[in-house]
Amino acid sequence: MTTLRDDTVATPAKVGNEPVITLRGVEKYFPVREGVFQQVVGHVRAVDNVSFEIPRGQTVGLVGESGCGKTTLGRCIAGLTDATGGGIYFRLSVADRQFLDQVDAIPQEQRTQEQRDRVERLERAHRIDRLKGDAWRTYRRNCQFVFQDAFSSLNPRQLVKDIVGRPLKVYKEASGPGLTERVVGLLESVGLGRQHLYRYPHEFSGGQRQRISIARALALDPEFIVLDEPTSALDVSVQSQILNLLHELQQERGLTYLFITHDLGVVRLMSDDIVVMYLGEVMEHATSEELFASPRHPYTDALLAANPDLLSDGDEDTEMRGLEGTLPDPARPPRGCRFHTRCPVATPRCGWEVDDAVAWLLDNATVLDGLSGVERATDFDSVLRFGDEAAAGEAASLLESSDVPASMRTAMVELGTDGAQLRIRFEEVDAVRLEDVGGGHTTSCILHTSQSAGS
Amino acid sequence: MTAAAPATAGEKTAALVASVEDLRVHFELKAGVLHAVDGVSFDIADGETLGLVGETGCGKSVTARSFLRLIPTPPGRYAGGRIRFWPKEARQSGGEPVDLLQVPTSDMLDIRGNRIAMIFQDPGKALNPALPIREQVAEVFYQHRTEDLLEAWNGRAPRPIRRAASQRAGKLERLAFKFPPLRSQSKRLKRRVDELVGDALAETQIHNPRKIMASYPHELSGGMKQRVMIAQALACNPDLLIADEPTTALDVTIQARILELIRELQHAHQTSVLYISHDLSLVRRICDRIAVMYAGRIAEIGTTQQVFHDPRHPYTQGLLAAVPSFAHRRGELAAIEGTVPELIDPDPSCRFHTRCAFATDICGRVDPVLDGRVAGRPVACHGYASPEELGVAAAELPHLDRSPA
Repeated sequence: MTTLRDDTVATPAKVGNEPVITLRGVEKYFPVREGVFQQVVGHVRAVDNVSFEIPRGQTVGLVGESGCGKTTLGRCIAGLTDATGGGIYFRLSVADRQFLDQVDAIPQEQRTQEQRDRVERLERAHRIDRLKGDAWRTYRRNCQFVFQDAFSSLNPRQLVKDIVGRPLKVYKEASGPGLTERVVGLLESVGLGRQHLYRYPHEFSGGQRQRISIARALALDPEFIVLDEPTSALDVSVQSQILNLLHELQQERGLTYLFITHDLGVVRLMSDDIVVMYLGEVMEHATSEELFASPRHPYTDALLAANPDLLSDGDEDTEMRGLEGTLPDPARPPRGCRFHTRCPVATPRCGWEVDDAVAWLLDNATVLDGLSGVERATDFDSVLRFGDEAAAGEAASLLESSDVPASMRTAMVELGTDGAQLRIRFEEVDAVRLEDVGGGHTTSCILHTSQSAGS
Repeated sequence: MTAAAPATAGEKTAALVASVEDLRVHFELKAGVLHAVDGVSFDIADGETLGLVGETGCGKSVTARSFLRLIPTPPGRYAGGRIRFWPKEARQSGGEPVDLLQVPTSDMLDIRGNRIAMIFQDPGKALNPALPIREQVAEVFYQHRTEDLLEAWNGRAPRPIRRAASQRAGKLERLAFKFPPLRSQSKRLKRRVDELVGDALAETQIHNPRKIMASYPHELSGGMKQRVMIAQALACNPDLLIADEPTTALDVTIQARILELIRELQHAHQTSVLYISHDLSLVRRICDRIAVMYAGRIAEIGTTQQVFHDPRHPYTQGLLAAVPSFAHRRGELAAIEGTVPELIDPDPSCRFHTRCAFATDICGRVDPVLDGRVAGRPVACHGYASPEELGVAAAELPHLDRSPA
């Protein structure tokens, strides 16, 4: 069956809940360059090993704080930037996806010729960075993007007619009076009208501009739209208009949405599935009801606690809670669970490492001013060299004090001074992975999965 | 929610910190006169937190900036009204308030940052990128707390040190500080400044203030920068703190912490706060009373309870219904149709009448007044006005109790 589908990217299949977009281990690393020769010294891991599917006709919400990689992921999916690893597949059937997963598990040299050929065919037909010619054009017209800032994403020197009609022209769908009529139709479907045809973007309010953006995205009758914070620049009263409009359009046209936002209230209202991202990784993935009813990750808990109105009916007594600390450097993400540095319920098995101890010392004391060198055996095992013995001793006693988070202290299996040297060794842990906790609800928190082995 | 007993709206209690009366701020534009703030009145009681809520462009920031006269004139113009402010001494001795729109600039300089402090929306823009944090926080002390800085000298500080403590030391003097006999004294002054700045930063729960003091704004995260701003604002123990959307630029998880911090410090300092925000769910958590603004005017004022559980103005009702919440289903979000009207040379009318489901003919002809007689608290809507005073039949007034047309 799959062999037949190879060249059939353009099938407007209306197959039940087949995914429109499938993400398999998507990575986007940005190189960090330094020095005169601009050598690559590291990578910012904006998106790291993200896998999920966007079923047809549904809305998947992508939530996270700023800097968690949600916009980058959206841009990768829309083909505005290439992923550096993994694959984004368009109209890949579930059976094919399972086949690819199976083959992935087999080492390269043990795969049969037949398997290799089939993988090659599938990738050529479905993987968006390998689509060519017509297939690529089909993908581009079926995947549209609505940007956050509706002002900078509309050309200020073009009339609304040209902005909205542009995709139709590019794909030679219409011209002349026919084009104008098509544009009028599109404008009417988003609540604007013929009187707005010959105006420039600056003549519109924020909400109207966002409507123009949506009209442009709808021009080619796409299957799938990436909505990148479409309402975060709008006021509440206008936001509700746009959200209602998006919902209506989805009902009418059977659209599939990827809804990127930081606002849990909006995502809860709009999404069937919610993916929670933190520092480039997926923390939790569940249906909307499930996620709000029983969140299985402390990061999701934290997001909910920061906006308690979402859970109760606005009881003033519910305390609003936030998170300590700041987002870690995505160029050197924390080991183990990436959230452990800010997690209120972190355990000793969450991936504490030498950098955490150093960061804690930096934040709370000045002994590191006397630091003269670091010998790093692994991330979990290092020797800090100080200028004098006293400083090393002070650092050691600070790390032993009860001010240090208890879980970090417990995870420290060795802490000893040798002259002016301080050796810190933490228990080594593996990276966490997403695990199903029932009903398609996946989470990466070891407190909720079987990964807590050894605790 | 907070300890301070909220003063009932309208009732002039003895302990007011500030009172805005019929404030009008206009901007002269090419297209005409923009009535950004058009007859705004509210009181801020001692120790309370008043929330000023409204959408973009409704004039809430202009109102806040008028307290410190930060509106550039021209194109801005204070077209009317007054902002009376009672400094601590005046409140205690029953003295006369000052009119912030009339006081001479020299007095204003003493009020800004000292009696009334402001936290701006974007901490990234409000901090000077070219100065370390220490210098920026220290400036408050140099400007307003010279006596504190010179405490150790018991009033016998030499002139150059005295001048240095108010940031007026000249080049020659600064050179002289490098050599004895002034060197040790200038160092002592510096240590005192460090101490005060460190204390101010430590109060905002910044770990390791020494390190933060030496860093530049770009080295700090958004939440940290906002903490520095708060430290700066509260350094002089102001009578009134104006927080202009202090958490809008921050992530939700950080936002909660900053909010908590402002609340804690407000209790500790017994400061009154004017909290400006567009986010209703935030305002409800931090404010005692709320004033809802729309298109340059106050729509209604009430305690947090009143505004959230019993909104009187159609705009407030619409706004509350438009927030995605627990109860909403997809596609059924209540929306306020239409957009905010142009504020250039507006005709007398209720500014909301174009979007209001209850609007009648009179709403488009007559300015509603902020009146508390029928509604029990100040609401600017003809639905709560008395027909006799307007000189129309009762049937011509909007009926808010029926379902919207």
